[in-house]
Amino acid sequence: MIAARELRLRYRTGSRQVTALDGVDVTFGEGMTTAVVGESGSGKSSLVTALLRLLPRGATLSGTITVDGRDITALSERELARSYRWTTVSLVLQGAMNAFTPVLTLGRQIAEVLEIHRGLSRQEALIRSGSLLEETGLPGAWTGRYPHELSGGQKQRAAVAMALACDPLYLLADEPTTALDVITQAEIVILLKSLTKRRGLGLILVTHDLALASAVADRLVVLQEGRVVDEGPTEEILASPGHPHTAALLGALRALEARP
Amino acid sequence: MSLLRRWSPWALLLLALAGLLGPILLGEAEKTVAPPFSRPLWLDRTAPPTVHLHLSPEVREKTLDWIWEPPAGLALKGTYRLPPGTSGKIVWDGPSGPVPLASLTGAGSLSLDGRDIAFRLRLGLSPFQSPLETLFADRGSYRLAYEGPEPEALSVELHLSGGRWGLLGTDQRGRDVFRLFLAGISVSLLIGLAATLLATLVGTSAGLLSGYLGGPVDSLVMRLADLLLALPLLPLLMVLAGLWGRGLWQLVLILGLFSWMGTARTVRSLTLSLREAPFVENLRALGAPTWYILGRHLLPEALPVLLATVTLGVPGAILAEAGLAFLGLSDPRLLSWGRMLHEAHGFGAFTAGAWWILLPPGLGIVFVCLAFLDLGRFLEEKADPRLRETLP
Amino acid sequence: MTYWSRRLLGALAVLFAVLALNFALFRLMPGDPVTSLVDPRFSPEAKEALSRAYGLDRPLGEQFLLYLKQTVTFDFGLSFVSGRPVWQELRDRLPHTVALSGSALVLAGTMGTALGVAAARRRGGAVERVVLAAGALSFSFPSFFLQLLLLLAFAVLWPLFPLRGSVSVPAPQGAAFIADYLHHLALPVLSLALLGFGSWALYVRNLMVKILGSEPLFLARAKGLPEPVLLWRHAFRTALPPLLTLILLSLPGLLSGAVITETVFSLHGVGRFLLESIQGQDYPAAGGAFYLLALVTVTSNVLADLAYGLADPRIRVDRRKGQ
Ligand SMILES: Nc1ncnc2c1ncn2[C@@H]1O[C@H](COP(=O)(O)OP(=O)(O)OP(=O)(O)O)[C@@H](O)[C@H]1O
Ligand SMILES: [Mg+2]
Repeated sequence: MIAARELRLRYRTGSRQVTALDGVDVTFGEGMTTAVVGESGSGKSSLVTALLRLLPRGATLSGTITVDGRDITALSERELARSYRWTTVSLVLQGAMNAFTPVLTLGRQIAEVLEIHRGLSRQEALIRSGSLLEETGLPGAWTGRYPHELSGGQKQRAAVAMALACDPLYLLADEPTTALDVITQAEIVILLKSLTKRRGLGLILVTHDLALASAVADRLVVLQEGRVVDEGPTEEILASPGHPHTAALLGALRALEARP
Repeated sequence: MSLLRRWSPWALLLLALAGLLGPILLGEAEKTVAPPFSRPLWLDRTAPPTVHLHLSPEVREKTLDWIWEPPAGLALKGTYRLPPGTSGKIVWDGPSGPVPLASLTGAGSLSLDGRDIAFRLRLGLSPFQSPLETLFADRGSYRLAYEGPEPEALSVELHLSGGRWGLLGTDQRGRDVFRLFLAGISVSLLIGLAATLLATLVGTSAGLLSGYLGGPVDSLVMRLADLLLALPLLPLLMVLAGLWGRGLWQLVLILGLFSWMGTARTVRSLTLSLREAPFVENLRALGAPTWYILGRHLLPEALPVLLATVTLGVPGAILAEAGLAFLGLSDPRLLSWGRMLHEAHGFGAFTAGAWWILLPPGLGIVFVCLAFLDLGRFLEEKADPRLRETLP
Repeated sequence: MTYWSRRLLGALAVLFAVLALNFALFRLMPGDPVTSLVDPRFSPEAKEALSRAYGLDRPLGEQFLLYLKQTVTFDFGLSFVSGRPVWQELRDRLPHTVALSGSALVLAGTMGTALGVAAARRRGGAVERVVLAAGALSFSFPSFFLQLLLLLAFAVLWPLFPLRGSVSVPAPQGAAFIADYLHHLALPVLSLALLGFGSWALYVRNLMVKILGSEPLFLARAKGLPEPVLLWRHAFRTALPPLLTLILLSLPGLLSGAVITETVFSLHGVGRFLLESIQGQDYPAAGGAFYLLALVTVTSNVLADLAYGLADPRIRVDRRKGQ
């Protein structure tokens, strides 16, 4: 279980301060899918960065994060890299289209986490990368390809393969489907859902698409202006929204669905 | 205004003033004033300085405190005209009593040198005895005076040559380095600004036309820019200066015509992004002529960026001019900083250890360039506030 | 057209333009072209013969073709000053110029890259301040001024290095010759590197700051990769293609620097030869030297383009288009 308490995240650019997270209390269970929804700028991506403790320059974070009882906020940068990032919690990024390093092959980028975190030899790691690609529906031989040789959807599949490489317990997916066409979106979500289910991972799906969230998530977390305004099992929230903002979001969704 | 809080505009203003007023207040830089490679006055105070004592009908007496060894040389030069039938004399008076240096009658000119045998004999010395030992036998207060009737005209100067002169000493031809330095300011600023303005003019026109018209004009201009950027600039400038002449305006022309490429690229990309802007499309739909759209709408948009480009381009032109002058490919009569370094390098400033000739022109170039860079960075930030985040 | 053929064509176009420019420069100058290409001190008969050899009595188009043929075969004519073929003079000097600029480039590039990367890694640190200052100075410090100062300091006041020349006179033999040559080359190379590393470091720093803040690096950090892997395998590898472009862009400037450097230190090289030819109005020699310098620039541009293509898989590998 990931439990965040009183998370406060501030960005500072020049003399301007932005409070992106304003006292967030939230838990994400293992082996289940939790969707974090909220409008643009509500702090969804900020929550993801905070959970990985990957702050940009000038940002300050306070509060505590415990993952399966371990206090993450107490870890040094070195310990975070060694035993937390990617091995416990991995990530599929909002713009995965541009998230790969353009000058390295997919195989190299997947294999390196296996070499570093799992101690595999380069050869073993490459072979394992191939089978990971196959698991996500890409040819295993594509380990030799460069990111620019793949389409957006294919890149996103490769990103999922990379995220699963070290068998993490939780997978953060920050808007994994934006900028994809509807059919590819559905494919990616189904892929994420089935792979995490099969491996018993906790999936934290960040999205502004409430329809998508309600279709796949076991639990919903609603963010507004850096605060959690509603949280609970999906059906309960859909049936009786606990906060006017959730109700408003739902209203917008119903109106969309009702359109002929 | 935040511009006034930067150091660079003040520094440039000060320099420009010094460049304008210096030659007026201090006089001709070309003149030989002291022995070659004299040290600056403030250096090595135990050595005798070079001193000029000038007598005129108004000032007929000059005093001098001499606390050093005798000077290395002495010369008395000038012209005079006394009332008919009278006579006067020039007297050197010191702790050991007065010595008449020259007697004057009627009208004429004087040209006496400490090395002249006749002069030595007249002072009662042997031909091999230096008069300086006698004239400066003691340390103390000396006086150079004209004694006689009211002269109709008098302009006599006593040169005592020592090893020190002025604020920054002298160069290999005995010219005052500080005056040369001041004369160099205007050359640097003038060539730097004029060449950059010309380059900007050419670059802006090329960029506007290229970006707005597109098509063959665009590819022609851009290929030409690519070509010029791919050439080694200095060798090209050297050949041009060697073939076409080395005067001030030729240099400006050469520098200007071969450094417009960067501006053209900037203006072109700016024009390209503006060409599709709704207001430009509307103007076009209304039938506004091309020159009108370019001149009235696109140019003003580009102006702040251009101002920054001009300012940032000046150091390049100044350095290029200095480089050509340093290589000896500028007009020898053009007293620029690069020329000073050329002469320092070519005429033994090194072996003389005369660093005071080397430092002022070099530091002058560095200083002016840094000032323009600072100003340019400021203007660039004003034109494009986004830069503030990436630039330190 | 593929990347490669486009680049090659571009280089050929530049080369042709250089040829045309060189032709025009020395023929369209004020005055009689005969005096610019034929030594005025020659006898009338010799002048006749030479202007026939250059085709100066023929129409301009024909002259150009003749000139093309001669230049492409490196037949630049005879030097007015030495009377030897210009190409022989140049061939003697070219290796020295290449040694000077090449070692300066390597030194400045290594120093600049190391400092630039270090500055990008520790924003606001001492290294970054050094890089920023060195960058500003490299845009405002005249090369010859720095070189004169170095000469004054290390050849006159504290004579560690020779004041002038490429080798001692008389030149030593064997291994001692190489040591002597390097001893003479050290200060010139050092001065060029000192001048060059600042702008290089500034560029590397800006590039690396941008890359380190980009999405791929965010993801790489999320992957828990150790710092060196992040920095070199991900960030620096991404920066490599534009860095190679920088080499391309810095070559013309480097050759310009070589001209000045060879003059300041009285080195044997193409640059000083060009200057002396211009000063001595030795036009065939000046034309040949200018053409050679331009040719070196164009060639290195092509090589740098090639390197860029090899370093960036987006150009090197394009399987989807079946290349
Ligand atoms: N690096 C940053 N520096 C400064 N402010 C930032 C930074 N990143 C985000 N912010 C600010 O923090 C707030 C929350 O941003 P965040 O990216 O978390 O929103 P989001 O919910 O992910 O939005 P979206 O759905 O558009 O991705 C916004 O107001 C944003 O402007
Ligand atoms: Mg987001």
